[in-house]
Amino acid sequence: MDKYNSAKDKWSHDVQKNLKRFPERKQTFTTSSDIVVEPLYEPDEKTEKYVENLGFPGQYPYTRGIQPTMYRSRFWTMRQYAGFGSAKETNKRFRYLLDQGQTGLSVAFDLPTQIGYDSDDPMAEGEVGKVGVAIDTLHDMEDLFDGIPLDKVSTSMTINAPASVLLCMYIAVGEKQGVPKEKLTGTIQNDILKEYIARGTYIFPPKPSMRLITNIFEYCQEHVPRFNTISISGYHIREAGSTAVQEVAFTLANGMAYVDAALEKGLEVDRFAPRLAFFFNAHNNFFEEIAKFRAARRIWAKIMKEHFGAKDPKSWKLRFHTQTGGSTLTAQQPDNNIVRVTLQALAAVLGGTQSLHTNSRDEALALPTEESARIALRTQQIIANESGVADTVDPLGGSYYIETLTNEMEEEIKRYLEKIADIGGAVQAVEDGYMQREIHQAAYEAQKRMESQEDIVVGMNKFQVEEEINPDLLKVDEQLEIEQIHTLSQRKEKRNIEEVQQSLQALEKAASSNTENVMPYILNAVKAYASVGEICNVLRKQFGEYIG
Amino acid sequence: MDKKIRVLVAKPGLDGHDRGALIIAQALRDHGMEVIYTGLRQSPAQIAQAAIQEDVDVIGLSSLSGAHRSLFPKVVEQLRERNADDIFVIGGGVIPAEDIPYLEERGIKKVFTPGSTTDAIASYIKELITPSSQSIAQSPKRIAHIGIAVKSIDDVIHFYHHVLGLHLSRVEEVPTEGVKVAFLKIGDTSIELLEPINEQSTIYKYIEKRGEGIHHIAFEVEDIEARLKYYKEQKVELIHDTPQPGAHDSKIAFLHPKAANGVLYELCEYKGEE
Repeated sequence: MDKYNSAKDKWSHDVQKNLKRFPERKQTFTTSSDIVVEPLYEPDEKTEKYVENLGFPGQYPYTRGIQPTMYRSRFWTMRQYAGFGSAKETNKRFRYLLDQGQTGLSVAFDLPTQIGYDSDDPMAEGEVGKVGVAIDTLHDMEDLFDGIPLDKVSTSMTINAPASVLLCMYIAVGEKQGVPKEKLTGTIQNDILKEYIARGTYIFPPKPSMRLITNIFEYCQEHVPRFNTISISGYHIREAGSTAVQEVAFTLANGMAYVDAALEKGLEVDRFAPRLAFFFNAHNNFFEEIAKFRAARRIWAKIMKEHFGAKDPKSWKLRFHTQTGGSTLTAQQPDNNIVRVTLQALAAVLGGTQSLHTNSRDEALALPTEESARIALRTQQIIANESGVADTVDPLGGSYYIETLTNEMEEEIKRYLEKIADIGGAVQAVEDGYMQREIHQAAYEAQKRMESQEDIVVGMNKFQVEEEINPDLLKVDEQLEIEQIHTLSQRKEKRNIEEVQQSLQALEKAASSNTENVMPYILNAVKAYASVGEICNVLRKQFGEYIG
Repeated sequence: MDKKIRVLVAKPGLDGHDRGALIIAQALRDHGMEVIYTGLRQSPAQIAQAAIQEDVDVIGLSSLSGAHRSLFPKVVEQLRERNADDIFVIGGGVIPAEDIPYLEERGIKKVFTPGSTTDAIASYIKELITPSSQSIAQSPKRIAHIGIAVKSIDDVIHFYHHVLGLHLSRVEEVPTEGVKVAFLKIGDTSIELLEPINEQSTIYKYIEKRGEGIHHIAFEVEDIEARLKYYKEQKVELIHDTPQPGAHDSKIAFLHPKAANGVLYELCEYKGEE
């Protein structure tokens, strides 16, 4: 009881402190019947066990959320992943989304950029501008953020193997706009382990890749302190077919590997850990998804505090972005996907996400059209503004079902973490293909359940209709690849080639020494308009390439 | 013992989504095929080379990045350059329906879109590789009916029904064919009486030219598509290359009388019971 009361006092104190910075959205929150909605609902039995397992919002182990007031002060960040074609075209989509009330940017890069090839590389053929925007040099990045002040938006970039290069380009664009790098906010994905496991855009082998990541941690804690240096991602693991438990287990195992690598490099845990962010999926099993987010927060807090000995509460908090599940969408009756996305988004909100991307209904068919992207954003806005679920913190806390599921998932996740520790950690488990096999097995079983109609997918294996193909789909102009290559060759000619070569030679030397941080060298090369491909080729030469 | 079907599952381009490719690889193995998976990031030339080295019967391409329009046809070209265009190429992934004709024109045998079952893919491949002369050369199941051209059903029904004592199972008009038909059951087959209802009817022309009498013999078959394909390969002259919709959800097709000593044969495939 004493422990309960002191925890509650602390929470009340945190709420007051928090309200000064982020006042509540309304003076009072009420239901349609004028019943007052309290900031938080508490258990009847005020026990020590409650404090240990759940705690108050914003308190260890953060089961009920990482902030004391959660969405009563501010909604989650609505952040739609976008990008296709050229930088100029994507810039238009970004401005459209900001006009529509989106609160953060999220850049999708095309595959050549993600794998460190220029648009004119033979390996890039057919892929330029297809799944995201094509970025070759700083010029493209300047076009991408033209008229978007980088001190006013936070930008998330889905970039991994060449994360250092794109972050440096972002820093350089900021400098040109007069925004110092200390003020930049956003996230780079920078999570290479899940690329080997599930997503496939790796370049270098694990060891040098881990070094690049720790170089970024080190550089950013000095120079770009408000940027999230990594977004440790379960999203793609889940899309590849894992279960919810595997998604969290493998993600947290990867997170532990990054912390280990940074500690080995001599970094202090409480200096880099507050900038670690996470990225999860939201699939259809509503309550399991909510319990998953709550369990993930609790386990990570314990890992950081007990296993790594972090002292700063900021290091204990698992902050995460959520995207709804792309692989749950059907090509059949695509409008049904709006309903799936709504349920998944609601689960993410009830699970306490910090930011959210809602998928568009047509993603099983092509990249989203502007109309589909707008409906997806509206879905979040309706949940936020009309449903009332954001008016009290952790509304499902204390539900018998949710709390039991949360506990059981925690146990299952821990079992996997022990197994991976036995193998020798996440890097070893990835190299052994352990996680890949587990995911594939789960994916195959799910496919069989669907084909035998044990699992029903509405509109696909049941309740089908004859349908007209095709709604309007977005098409990336085939001409774009040719134009992008043409522009690149013109821009390459206009550069000061001596400056480019010098900067690349300096980078090569830095890369060859194990102790040097490559970030300042990459920044110089980027400013000299060296291309993503040129920079990555220098690193390929030093680090070698990973063969999947 | 048949040789096992060999399949190369390949990921052309830079796309890293291999959940579908891996599931299909395993499903085809479960269907008794030998499957080689290339791994990610293969160029069309590498894929063609691997297909030849591994001596596969079929290549399954997977792409979810939108690069299919440029990369899938390149694989077919690379096979052709290596004189290996007897290897079938099929594909799947996030592929809009409107791109399918484009790909088929460029030599992709078939495109499977999201929602296709692994069983459907496996049986398609089996059918593709083993056009199974043994199964198709099997006898049709039975004589479905014998068609007799008459000027007037009313005039002859007395004979068939009351004198011969055949059971009249149904009478209907098929305006598209310009005929009225009556079915009279005999054992597990029928006599079909065909009466022209206008002068455009082929039955009218038949009677004008050759008088009343036996018009055609119909066989009930399974998998009419495969059978027509096989007959075509055997250079049998056909009136219909592909099945036509018949009465009661059936699919029908006629062989040309030239193919069978002046006898007109019809093939029928029934959905469930006739």
